[in-house]
Amino acid sequence: MLLVRNVTKRYGKFVANDNVSFEIRPGEISVLVGPNGAGKSTIIKSIAGLLKFDGSITINGNENKSIQAKRDLGYVPEMPALYDMLTVWEHLEFIARAYSLSNWKEKAESLLQRFELDDKKKKLGSELSKGMQQKVSICCCILTGPKVILFDEPMVGLDPHAIKELKNLIVEKRQEGAAILISTHMLDSVNEFWDSTNIMMNGKIAARRTRKEIEGSGEDLEALFFKITEGDKVVQ
Amino acid sequence: MKALAYLLLIQVKNKILMLKKKPAFLVLYGIIIVFVLFSIVTMIIFGKDMPQTKFADERIVFLILAGLGLLFLFTFVSTGLSTGSSLFTMPDVGLLFVSPISSKKILFYGLISTLGKALIGSVFIFYQIGNLKTNFGYGLKEIFGLFAIFTVMILFCQLLSIGIYIFSNGNRARKRVIKGLLYALIGVLLLTALYLQRQEHIGIMEAVLRMTDASWFGYVPVTGWATMLFIGVVHNSMFKMIISLTLFLMIGIIIISLLTAGKADYYEDVLLSTEFTFQTKLAAKEGRNIPRQTATKIKVKDNDLGIGKGSGAMAFMYKHILELKRNSRFIFADGYTVFLMVGVGIAGYNFKTSEVSYYIVLAVVIYLQFFLTTMGKLKIELMRPFIYLIPENSLKKVFAASVTSLLKPCVDGICMFAVFGVFSGASIPTCIFFAFAYAASGAVFVGITILYQRVLGGQPNMIIQLSIGMGLLLAIMAPSVGVSIVAAILLPEALSFLSVLPYTVFCLFFAVLLFVTCGNLIDKAEYSGKA
Repeated sequence: MLLVRNVTKRYGKFVANDNVSFEIRPGEISVLVGPNGAGKSTIIKSIAGLLKFDGSITINGNENKSIQAKRDLGYVPEMPALYDMLTVWEHLEFIARAYSLSNWKEKAESLLQRFELDDKKKKLGSELSKGMQQKVSICCCILTGPKVILFDEPMVGLDPHAIKELKNLIVEKRQEGAAILISTHMLDSVNEFWDSTNIMMNGKIAARRTRKEIEGSGEDLEALFFKITEGDKVVQ
Repeated sequence: MKALAYLLLIQVKNKILMLKKKPAFLVLYGIIIVFVLFSIVTMIIFGKDMPQTKFADERIVFLILAGLGLLFLFTFVSTGLSTGSSLFTMPDVGLLFVSPISSKKILFYGLISTLGKALIGSVFIFYQIGNLKTNFGYGLKEIFGLFAIFTVMILFCQLLSIGIYIFSNGNRARKRVIKGLLYALIGVLLLTALYLQRQEHIGIMEAVLRMTDASWFGYVPVTGWATMLFIGVVHNSMFKMIISLTLFLMIGIIIISLLTAGKADYYEDVLLSTEFTFQTKLAAKEGRNIPRQTATKIKVKDNDLGIGKGSGAMAFMYKHILELKRNSRFIFADGYTVFLMVGVGIAGYNFKTSEVSYYIVLAVVIYLQFFLTTMGKLKIELMRPFIYLIPENSLKKVFAASVTSLLKPCVDGICMFAVFGVFSGASIPTCIFFAFAYAASGAVFVGITILYQRVLGGQPNMIIQLSIGMGLLLAIMAPSVGVSIVAAILLPEALSFLSVLPYTVFCLFFAVLLFVTCGNLIDKAEYSGKA
């Protein structure tokens, strides 16, 4: 369970997140959408404990910077940041060791196979394309078995096979009871599985809807997005 | 041209305005400006009243200038033979090169912008005002002369590098000729110094000093021209100044003509180096390996696969050791270790009779260590999200990510003082305790980089380190240095090796203090993907 309460993040005078509140329950996929500069990545980084902020964020009841919260959290950054001198396999080994995981090798093998990285285990981080780095980043995140997962633009740079696998993986994690937050501009890519959405504008949550609410009104995610973000200039 | 002038001015303005976002740096830059102005004003007001004492041999300044000139020459010629230098940045390539502005005007813009950077890069000369005045009796004329010479040298070497690149790109024979000429020049200088030493029956230092002071040396490219120009300034010799400036100017004009003459298109020539410089800066910012033009592919061996040890925060340490192993088979020992071993070996051989000189050697290597200590692997970790996400205590993570930086001075200390012991005849306990002192100093310096990161949110540049950092450090370390000096005087000869112990203990205490107080770095820092 992810609880974000009254989070404000300032960079000097600029308010990147203004009193943001929302929650994601176990087994829920929530998508965070909004125009460029709306504050999506900032709130995701704040949840991941990478930024300082005012307000409160808890992960399964623990303050987000606590060790227990970190144990339950998985984060796939927008820009994959791998180590140049570690191979693909060593990235997974490093994560397993740092999180003190046991019996991780089988899971690691299966993740690499799923994302077609099994033949690239000995490739160094510096030798990988952006898309491959993104796949390794996803594998590192999932390996720890997180209960709250943050994806920041996870599909950018991925090939069609990896996008399909990632979608399947996200749905599986929901079935396992994880609370999942996905920030994306690619509305089509999440259309088939999202449960709730938070639309951000100018650092604030401009609207929150559940899938049921939208389907009841005959709208879809894209129409809602334009209605909220463009107001009167709504596209049909 | 208006657009280029606008671009230059707006960039300067924005760089200054950007300081508003980093108040600590603003204060530090303010202190530096005040310090420089204060030094100049003090010199103007009180300089004339200072008692005339016997000054040091000014040929030492000529030698330092010649040495730096040679270093510049070697570095920029080598760059010219590989990627070339660039007067431009990637935005210049993307926006200016494709714009309907004359390529000559763009070249002029590049030269002005590089000149500005060269001027800033030469500011460090003003830190030597006190030193140059006290030791050599130099006034404002000589100091501004040195400042101008450094600026000219940097600008000229950038041009030279581009010229060499254009001349030799894709032509192995030409590259070989240039490389041969460069090595031949260095060889001739070395042989001349040795010849002078033998012929005149003088020490090697005196021979080198005589060589750089000789009139023929003034005609050696870059290093000699710069020295001749400075000698001209010091001795009010218009002839020497004109000759050296003419040489700089003439070759500079030839290179510019090469860039702009006829149908010459320098865009392609500077493109590779601009891209390479951009990649290098980006890699340095992100803490990645600097891309090499002729990168040798690192092959991961089967028996070298895997981190193998460590759990929790300590996984960082073992990961770093693996990364170091991939970079160098000797892990901690690198080119700098060899440089230190050779340096202290020579020093030990030359000063073997004087025990005081042992301490001077130790002080010099620690002084060098201060400037060369970086955050190392911790800096790289701060630019990736893992260290923030991993569920461990911040202090443990900071320490584990710094272990390799702490071990490096231990290895350097052991290697260096083992060689020193062999060549100087210093006792084994002395060498061991010197190695301890060196390693402990390294721990303090690593701690200081963490302190900078905690307080400033980044690492200050060399100018700030030189002025503020060094001053603060000396003030803090002074008592322990004092105790060690007293110990050296009071201890019986058999126990003199213990004299550096107070300093070592204090360093270790101070390092622990720095780690403990700044250990919450990860909890307090913000991840931005850059340092």
